[in-house]
Amino acid sequence: MRPFLAMAAILALMPFGLPPYAMTLLTEALILGLTAMSLDLMVGYTRLISFGHAASYGLGAYTSGWLLLHTDFPVLFVVPLAALFAGVVAIGVAWVCTLATGVSFSMLTLAFAQLLYAVAFKWTSVTGGSDGLAGIPRRAGPFGMTILSTKSGFYYFVLACLLGAFLFCRSLVNSPFGAVLRGIRENEAKTLSLGYNIRAYKIAVVALSYGLGGLAGALYAPFAGFANTELLFWLFSGQVLIMVIVGGSGTLVGPVLGAAFFMLAEHWLSSYTEAWALFFGLIFIGFVLFAPEGIFGVFSTRLIRRARPVG
Amino acid sequence: MALLELDGLTRRYGGIVAVDQVSMRVEAGEVRAVIGPNGAGKTTLFHLISGVVKPSEGQVRFADAPLAGLTAHQVCQRGVSRTFQLTALFPEMTARENARLAAQARQKRSWQPYGGGNIFAVAQRLGDAALEQIGLGHVANRPAGLLSHGDQRLLEVAMALAQQPRLLLLDEPTQGLSVEETAQAVETLARLLVDTKMTVLLVEHDMEVVFRLAHKITVLHRGAVIADGAPEAVRGDPEVQRAYLGGLE
Repeated sequence: MRPFLAMAAILALMPFGLPPYAMTLLTEALILGLTAMSLDLMVGYTRLISFGHAASYGLGAYTSGWLLLHTDFPVLFVVPLAALFAGVVAIGVAWVCTLATGVSFSMLTLAFAQLLYAVAFKWTSVTGGSDGLAGIPRRAGPFGMTILSTKSGFYYFVLACLLGAFLFCRSLVNSPFGAVLRGIRENEAKTLSLGYNIRAYKIAVVALSYGLGGLAGALYAPFAGFANTELLFWLFSGQVLIMVIVGGSGTLVGPVLGAAFFMLAEHWLSSYTEAWALFFGLIFIGFVLFAPEGIFGVFSTRLIRRARPVG
Repeated sequence: MALLELDGLTRRYGGIVAVDQVSMRVEAGEVRAVIGPNGAGKTTLFHLISGVVKPSEGQVRFADAPLAGLTAHQVCQRGVSRTFQLTALFPEMTARENARLAAQARQKRSWQPYGGGNIFAVAQRLGDAALEQIGLGHVANRPAGLLSHGDQRLLEVAMALAQQPRLLLLDEPTQGLSVEETAQAVETLARLLVDTKMTVLLVEHDMEVVFRLAHKITVLHRGAVIADGAPEAVRGDPEVQRAYLGGLE
């Protein structure tokens, strides 16, 4: 708990030290971190590899954007509502996707995300088609509360969502439910034969994962002021998966670090070359080959080694 | 009243009849061995009882209720635990964690998505007791994947025991063990079965194991029952001997 509180305190102090541009980057990094952490529930803890996590993000972003544009709800209500919507839709998605296992499962998640992508493109009256939704307000309220419409106020909102989601996920993976997820990860058939309804567990974890991914997307729309089809594109799904793997899957914290690392690397590399993705690809390959436990894994094993000298 | 009743159980795969009109009754407290040459349908019979495979015809009754239409996890919830012919464990978890997860399946609120200290504590107690019972206490904190093959086989039995089943299905518990390991495992199992008076259905290749453990034997040949009864009677049955010799054809 102590490192968690220290980290929370440091992040809470950031608005006092960082210039506005850096705060924008940091807010986006936390939103992406939340996305990656939500995917970790599936990938790291249940070994359900989703190639379509952009679906949850885009669904949350479009829902929150649409609600903010067409209703009078304040941001504070819209964001959880959009997350809930993404989670509920995910129950149906998961019901279909869990008919398959392994690569077929992954392909179905991808297919669903691409389906949403096509819908967002064609259903112009609701989604704005290829233009997307623009001018999404960070509406104040309720009761005249204006803090969420300021930049640093919104940062704290994002931070609270991320920390809340982290505590929720940590409690989940350490619970009896989480123990069953671990069983599914290590031996699905055995978990079934022990008497666990593994399909129900999988559907539940996908719904929770998409709900939290939807939460991240729901934060992104009022943060950026727009939602477009790129948020639903398969490329983004792949990037989130990379964040999870680079950061360290099955650790919750790792994917958040992975997301921050991804953003920093993108910014830094793209200031030198347009082919930044190529170089990031090399970094990714390096991680897979030499540090498959990811950033967090490398750090924690180093720390443990220092704490307990070998020999 | 019989705990397990099979009535005309049949399973076809295309033109092949893997299990052919099998009927049998297993009384509570009985240790029943199902034997037969390779391909006789023993494992398919296990799959049918545990709900992994649906019967083409016939039915399974357990504790006076039909199991028709139940999925594998529901059958398990009724009190039927099984082990697999090929060792199936959670390799990265310790033996204790394996046993705990097995026992957790029988707890109320085994799916609770938060906290769970109590559920874990009760499950761990059952799991630890099962590990002690089968003599794996000394390796309880090792990852299951690093145990010797013999201990892995026993761990699977311990996991089934931790669920306190009413019927235990053992699919070739000594499969792949050396002669010494087999002898040890059989002694452990024999002691256990006497202690617990558990109802067991056992598939086994090794005849010495069968005669050491079983009260009654059912012989399958090409999916059908060709003999059924006490070990001595089955051993002397000419048809059984022919099936076993003919099994090499």
